[in-house]
Amino acid sequence: MADTLAERAPLPRFFSRGALALVLGIYTFYTLGPFLWLMTMSVRTTAEISTDHYAFPKKFHWEQFRIAWIDSDFATYFWNSTIVVVSAVAVVTLFGAAAAHALARYRFRGNRAVYGILFSSIIFPPQITLISLYQILVDYNLYNSLLGLTLVYVSLQLPLTVYLLEGFFARIPQDLFDAAKIDGYGDLEIFRRIVLPIGMPAIATTLILNFIQLWNEFLFAVVLITDPDKRTLPVGIRAFMGDHFQDIGMIATGVMISVIPVIIVYVFFSEKLIRGMTAGAIK
Amino acid sequence: MAVVTLDQITKQYGPTGPVVVDHVDIHIADGEFMVLLGPSGCGKSTTLRMIAGLEEISSGKLSIGNRVVNQVPAKDRDIAMVFQSYALYPHMSVAENLAFGLRRRKFAAAEVDRRVSEAASILGLTPLLERKPSALSGGQRQRVALGRAMVREPMVFLFDEPLSNLDAALRVNTRTEIIKQHKRLGSTMIYVTHDQVEAMTMGTRICVMNAGKVAQIGAPLDVYWEPADTFVARFLGSPPMNLASAMVASSATGHGARSASLESPLTRWSPAVLGSLIDKKITFGVRAEDLFMNKAALGSEPAGLVRGRVIAVEPLGAETLLLIEVEPGVEWTARLPRHVPVSTDEIVELYYPASAAFIFDATTGRAVIGEARRDPRQ
Repeated sequence: MADTLAERAPLPRFFSRGALALVLGIYTFYTLGPFLWLMTMSVRTTAEISTDHYAFPKKFHWEQFRIAWIDSDFATYFWNSTIVVVSAVAVVTLFGAAAAHALARYRFRGNRAVYGILFSSIIFPPQITLISLYQILVDYNLYNSLLGLTLVYVSLQLPLTVYLLEGFFARIPQDLFDAAKIDGYGDLEIFRRIVLPIGMPAIATTLILNFIQLWNEFLFAVVLITDPDKRTLPVGIRAFMGDHFQDIGMIATGVMISVIPVIIVYVFFSEKLIRGMTAGAIK
Repeated sequence: MAVVTLDQITKQYGPTGPVVVDHVDIHIADGEFMVLLGPSGCGKSTTLRMIAGLEEISSGKLSIGNRVVNQVPAKDRDIAMVFQSYALYPHMSVAENLAFGLRRRKFAAAEVDRRVSEAASILGLTPLLERKPSALSGGQRQRVALGRAMVREPMVFLFDEPLSNLDAALRVNTRTEIIKQHKRLGSTMIYVTHDQVEAMTMGTRICVMNAGKVAQIGAPLDVYWEPADTFVARFLGSPPMNLASAMVASSATGHGARSASLESPLTRWSPAVLGSLIDKKITFGVRAEDLFMNKAALGSEPAGLVRGRVIAVEPLGAETLLLIEVEPGVEWTARLPRHVPVSTDEIVELYYPASAAFIFDATTGRAVIGEARRDPRQ
């Protein structure tokens, strides 16, 4: 019986591996295809793209990147996006982690009520707050400012961040906190020296998700920013779309520029991201 | 090293909440190894956490080294604690784990290195100093936890069921290691466990706790041979002490305990004590190892008898456990030699020396004090 099984094993294994490779291949093509198409379009002119949508570039128009970066103010948009998103993500990560730690670790009156309110704000679509946020920013002279947009981004991403981190932090054993207390550490030091390093996979996960979400955010940016020199990248790319003409080549170049930081952040944090997403799955 | 005194220590969760530790009095001498023993939920871990400063004390006075520490934070009590879960910081190496508490206390780097090296050397951790806790076995992790407490050189060591997560073989090794370190350091140690073998083998004294109260404090064998009540009698000993209801009766030959299934002379109690119990219900007890199938094994000593139906015969190799039903719903266990020539449902009679009998108040469960029990150590 054992011999029969041993003889039979390789063939099904070949097919199962082959099937797996096929599925992965199709999925990779499905997800990577549009990106590759975008890459080719970013070094072609709009006229070339109009002639043949899917053709491989005959000549690589690298100057499109220079034109986008300098002539079309993409450097400004890029800088604006960087300021707003990095600041918002930093604030969200720091305050989100602190709030999640407090909710996960300390028993105080209203703990679950605060948690419930935060959770309820995740359920509703953020668009319903757009008009009231607009009015609040106008009232506080924050409308059409990068600071105002940063604060809005913080408020948008903070609840989900707290929700995700609270779940992770609550699983850190109480004994570690007790051991650190006996070792002589206070609450803030325990947060800094124990919670943050142990929670790093989860923090990296929220960091990368928040970065991607905010880096690509368009709706709030287009409503709350009017000055061209304060535009963020997604709004800047929108400038290449007119009512009657769309500069597809430059749009593709702009999108490529905007995608690069996301790839860098992902590559840098991907290992921690995966560890964060699978945390608790295995002991 | 220090004296630790718990004076009427109570823990209640909220003004109307449950009282989990109820007016506990314990005096732990300098250099003593005190074991807090009891079943889950008896309040032993909460008592330890109050000593550590990890739980607030609702009422009572706690002193460490003649200083009242009720309001002193954990870090200033000069104690170190070893946890059941090891509580090693997973992002730090073994060396960093050992040094973490010392660095906070601003010890000079050379002193930190010296203490870490010394502890690592004593506990055999030197080759593991650069490893992370995830790369260690359970026994190694527990040794690191022990080392982390040792490097602090505290007045009092606290252990919260530190061996529970280890397998049987490692448990014995680590138990020996802790006893060895206690002898070497001579520090006061307070050790919480629900395992009576750990309590009996490690403790200078043991404090048996039940439902938040101290049931009995004493040297391990004293508590074993003179249990204060039926709870201690049942909790300490494996198999637990056999108990059954009986009446005290008087006859021409003296006082005795009787029921439908047992008959026993009572030789350890004065006539005055037994006189007050005549025709009253008591709880009668005999330990499993004091039961014999052959009356001749008792020699000339007055013997008691218990009769019952065999429920099971459990041969364990070196010995055999015989389970009999002496009354409906009341089972007794006898620890007998290897070969027991009986079968299930057979009615058997077992004998015990009269001096091995215990009697307890049927209502309160408190032991009726008599002459000291025959002590096999002598």
